Amino acid sequence: MVKPPPFRRVLIANRGEIAVRICRGLRELGIESIAVHSEVDRKCAHVMAADHAFPLGGNSAAESYLDVGKILSAAKAMDAQAIHPGYGFLSENANFARAVREAGLVFLGPNPEAMERLGGKSAAREEAMKAGVPVIPGTETDDGDASLIAAAKRIGLPVMVKASAGGGGRGMRLVYEEKDLAEAIAAGRREAKASFGDDRMIVEKAVFPARHIEIQMIGDKYGDVVSLHERECSVQRRHQKVLEEAPSPVVGDSLRQRMGDAAVKLAKAVGYDNAGTAEFLVDDQGNFYFLEVNARLQVEHPVTELVTGVDLVHLQVRVAAGERLADLLKDRDLRPRGHAMEVRVCAENPEGGFLPAAGLLRLVREPEGPGIRVDSGVYSGWDVPVFYDSLLAKVIVYAPDRATACTRLSQALRDAAYLGIPTNVDFLRRLVDDPDFRRGDIRTDFLNRKPGIAKPTEIPPDDFVLAAAVLTQALLPHAGNAAPSNTGDAIPAARTSASVWRELSGLRLLGGQQ
Amino acid sequence: MSLRKTYLRDGEPVTVVAERVGGDHWRVRVGDAVHEFRAGALGNGGVRIVPVGERAEPACTAFGAQSGKDYMIRVGGRTFTLQEPQTVRARGGAAVGDGAVRAPMTGTVLAVSCKVGDAVTADQTLVVVTAMKMEHKLMAGIAGVVKRVSATVGGTVEQGAVLVEVEPQKETHS
Repeated sequence: MVKPPPFRRVLIANRGEIAVRICRGLRELGIESIAVHSEVDRKCAHVMAADHAFPLGGNSAAESYLDVGKILSAAKAMDAQAIHPGYGFLSENANFARAVREAGLVFLGPNPEAMERLGGKSAAREEAMKAGVPVIPGTETDDGDASLIAAAKRIGLPVMVKASAGGGGRGMRLVYEEKDLAEAIAAGRREAKASFGDDRMIVEKAVFPARHIEIQMIGDKYGDVVSLHERECSVQRRHQKVLEEAPSPVVGDSLRQRMGDAAVKLAKAVGYDNAGTAEFLVDDQGNFYFLEVNARLQVEHPVTELVTGVDLVHLQVRVAAGERLADLLKDRDLRPRGHAMEVRVCAENPEGGFLPAAGLLRLVREPEGPGIRVDSGVYSGWDVPVFYDSLLAKVIVYAPDRATACTRLSQALRDAAYLGIPTNVDFLRRLVDDPDFRRGDIRTDFLNRKPGIAKPTEIPPDDFVLAAAVLTQALLPHAGNAAPSNTGDAIPAARTSASVWRELSGLRLLGGQQ
Repeated sequence: MSLRKTYLRDGEPVTVVAERVGGDHWRVRVGDAVHEFRAGALGNGGVRIVPVGERAEPACTAFGAQSGKDYMIRVGGRTFTLQEPQTVRARGGAAVGDGAVRAPMTGTVLAVSCKVGDAVTADQTLVVVTAMKMEHKLMAGIAGVVKRVSATVGGTVEQGAVLVEVEPQKETHS
């Protein structure tokens, strides 16, 4: 029996690869998608992927994807019945979730009350302690710089200074010495304010080095919450995840069960009713400490989808529409099968201190083949803007076992080309090829201990490389020189077939409204 | 047809001349060495290159694109960013610690914590630049006195732009 689509139209309050991925999920459910976009994002991949597009104006996140008023107006103007927030931006903003509900729309995420109880790091700690889930010693509230510094001294250094509203490593710093606390807190507040519009900070004892392992869960409106097991995200750089995999090389059935139970207990205690992730640090003895809940879809959700066979975007939409998990997951074996691994392809220069590298991507060729999934937000000719984060695409592989997943990912990265600006593709390949990584010997300090992955011994180009450079230019003088597609107004005019015109309708609408 | 380029290898200029001998057959001179290839453009933006002769090197597909003034070539799963000697000269190649505080990447100025006439230390943060949601602190690099400040809070800066100029501290014998 084919179920009718739960909504007719859904607005995606996000951009780039995640908005593209959500468009795909919506289309599979028979739902029309509405993209919103800033000025520089007029021709971003997510606008091309959607059925409709609405311009928010402005370029900074604050005047576009973080502007609640503009997004609600867009939803109203485009007759959306629901809003998917993606990750980042407004995804974990309870006020936004509430405003969506008050506007008579469905928020495709957890209810704002559960989000408030779990969304902030400090609130989540309190709830975890109440639910009997182990936590790291630290502060529960932000009573100003002086009290945070006093708390850090009381706990004992090193400590982790974190944004209360945080995620993705923004505003987070590991501090070893008392004299560095004030500046770490100040810088953290600035980053947190810019990223989340909330500058509250907390301080925690640094459990370091450890493994970062998280539990994906999904809840429904009837109090049911299911664990979709762990993702190992220990390979990080400055608290930003670089590579994620499932299952974890060190989590056995017993630890998986205990961590899953803890996450589900916490989620049930606060009435959690959509997709979310409980993050934990796991030490070498197998003790786990609750860190925070990410009350949204995660960047790394595809690895869970590949090993459990569920589609998290479909589930998010269906539970938000009032369907029961018991029906949606009936007769499904959710135990992890095989091994999935994801890397984040970013516009940054690992060989040059990881500086972000906005600019024109002249040539994009994404890998393909058995067991390879690419969630991308770019294409040849896309001018990567400076205003948003540096994630271009995610290369995800699935294989029967971890060793095969590693070789498959290495080959996928070999075939990937993102040229015109520096990217971390070669860095990611060195990471995947590292013998200790292959053994699964990873902690959150892995990349610090392996400086050669970021800065390898320089290999000068051999004759073959130099010959290839001249041959490519001789044979394809215009290839790899695509003009930027997101500057100027021209939309290819010669393409007039009905299907193409239909796909460009969002752009025409946009042109008409500006 | 033929195409001639000069790139830096290990800091030394190497001239590369590719010459079509006939059909898809190319002779490429790299410095003093001569190599022969069969090469053809593919529809996906790549060029298939097959070494000719006794060499056992495998064939490969190369992808290339301009990156600013440099040329990025991806071959065998590695990316090389090739520089031409004249563009390296044109950049001035200012040494670190010459007193010019440059934007390391294109971005927005978040904070300027110095003004003309300030005495600064080498490790003092003078400007904070943000791009793609990350903050970068720019230090003076040398001890001295601020001579010029061309960064303004909220302003956009291009990679390589000089934001602050610091005049080196005069030797004092007192």
